Amino acid sequence: MDSLSRYLRIWLASARYSLVRATMFRGDLFIWASVELLWISVNVIMVAVIYSHTRSVAGWSMYEMLLLVGTSMLIQRFLMGFFWSGIFEMGRNVRSGLFDFVLAQPGDPLFMASTRKLELDGLLNAVVAAALVVYSVRKLGLHPGAGAIALYACMIACGVVIHYSALVIAMSLSFWITSSQGVEGSYFTLMEFSRLPREAFGRLTSILFVWVLPVVVVSNAPAREILHGFQPWWALGLLAATGAWLALAVAVFRSGLRRYTSASS
Amino acid sequence: MTKYGQAFLVGLQSNLVYRWNFAVRSLFWFCHLLVVFILWGAAYAGNPSIGGYSFSQTLTYFVVIFILQFFVGAFNEDYQISEDIRNGLINQFLLKPINYFAYRMSVFAAARVVSGAFGILALLVALPFVRGYLDLPHEGWRLALGIPAMGLTALIQFSLAYCFGMLAFWFLEIQGFVILSMAVETLLGGQIVPLDLLPPAAFNVVRFLPFFYQAYFPAAILTGRQGLDFALQGLAIQAFWAFVLVCLAEAVWRRGLRHHTAAGG
Repeated sequence: MDSLSRYLRIWLASARYSLVRATMFRGDLFIWASVELLWISVNVIMVAVIYSHTRSVAGWSMYEMLLLVGTSMLIQRFLMGFFWSGIFEMGRNVRSGLFDFVLAQPGDPLFMASTRKLELDGLLNAVVAAALVVYSVRKLGLHPGAGAIALYACMIACGVVIHYSALVIAMSLSFWITSSQGVEGSYFTLMEFSRLPREAFGRLTSILFVWVLPVVVVSNAPAREILHGFQPWWALGLLAATGAWLALAVAVFRSGLRRYTSASS
Repeated sequence: MTKYGQAFLVGLQSNLVYRWNFAVRSLFWFCHLLVVFILWGAAYAGNPSIGGYSFSQTLTYFVVIFILQFFVGAFNEDYQISEDIRNGLINQFLLKPINYFAYRMSVFAAARVVSGAFGILALLVALPFVRGYLDLPHEGWRLALGIPAMGLTALIQFSLAYCFGMLAFWFLEIQGFVILSMAVETLLGGQIVPLDLLPPAAFNVVRFLPFFYQAYFPAAILTGRQGLDFALQGLAIQAFWAFVLVCLAEAVWRRGLRHHTAAGG
């Protein structure tokens, strides 16, 4: 319990530092918040244009699709807001030796590396993504109860953990290889699949994007929970994937850390 | 050989050094194409035509759009230019009889030769899977007008990237601006949805913007989405925008130099 409160205090200190920093560079915050808002808008416009020519995509109506897109965006924005900068800098710091700084801090290296920075623009746009989800739910005439909303929130948290784990695994590769270039691009490319309904995938593509890489399950499971109520298999699948991916990420990170030979590596 | 010919050759060599970056980009291209295939395949299920185009025509459009980006797209020229300014490397060009725009254009052309080769390679690998879906028109005028349109597209893309790179004269960090413009260009350039699927009023506004000529226009000529009259009118508008943007690039360069301080030896 003491340990948990200590980590909470460390995280709060990092969050406070990030907020102060964000308010110092207000122009930068505005630009990046606009960038994220524009990308959300691009996705909404894409859905609107497609549905102006068809009534259903893989059995999903326009507002169901917007709910899925909003859910996927929500997970991505939370990841960007809470973890992206810290994990992304990890690859560069390992190469330059600046990772020593993280190791010298009073806490678990993965926690310290991941939570160093909070990106306010990502968190601000999480509100926009949440608004898109609420708008879609209202347009669908759904009235989820407190339990369904709580379950949805848990599933979003699971999604963030899975994305976080995948990113940690990708960035941990910098312990073995000299360049982790392309990781950012590969993450955003994979995210494109999470905005597609599960039913749109064929047998072959399902194997890769539904079963091997949980990019589709991560966004589809919470959206389906709101649309069709609690579905035990989807919830259990998501929970199992969360545990497995987090365990794998921690194992890969620790294994990489053993190879790290400080500034001379 | 002229100095710009030499710059082109050096650019060719340095881009070949980074061939893995282009290979990774080709891999992303496959993933984008797969997303397009899954999404539009689901949208077309039960609809023989969307906006008057078959699934094959729409898939062909996206394949051409993606390949065009390898040949004429400005990938990171803005970043390279901003780095030249930030690191003071630009000073060497101020002391020599070299036009920086022409020098950068030569390096850009070299990069597109290398990335174009990778684009062709990626297409050859994808061909067995997409051959059955490719539906290209056979009118000769399409190639005759499509090739100059591609040349002007390259000039527009490069000039815009050049202008954004020049922002480094005024701002320390330009990445936010670049990604902001990328979102606009991606949507209004027709990389997300074919622009002819927009409502007619929106299409008639968008066709007068420079973004329209960054990808959609040459792709629409080559894939038969627009007729001869539209193509001829479009070429005139595209030439106008290319001229305006080259003039803007020169104006921004001159204005930026007034802000520039060349320090050190």
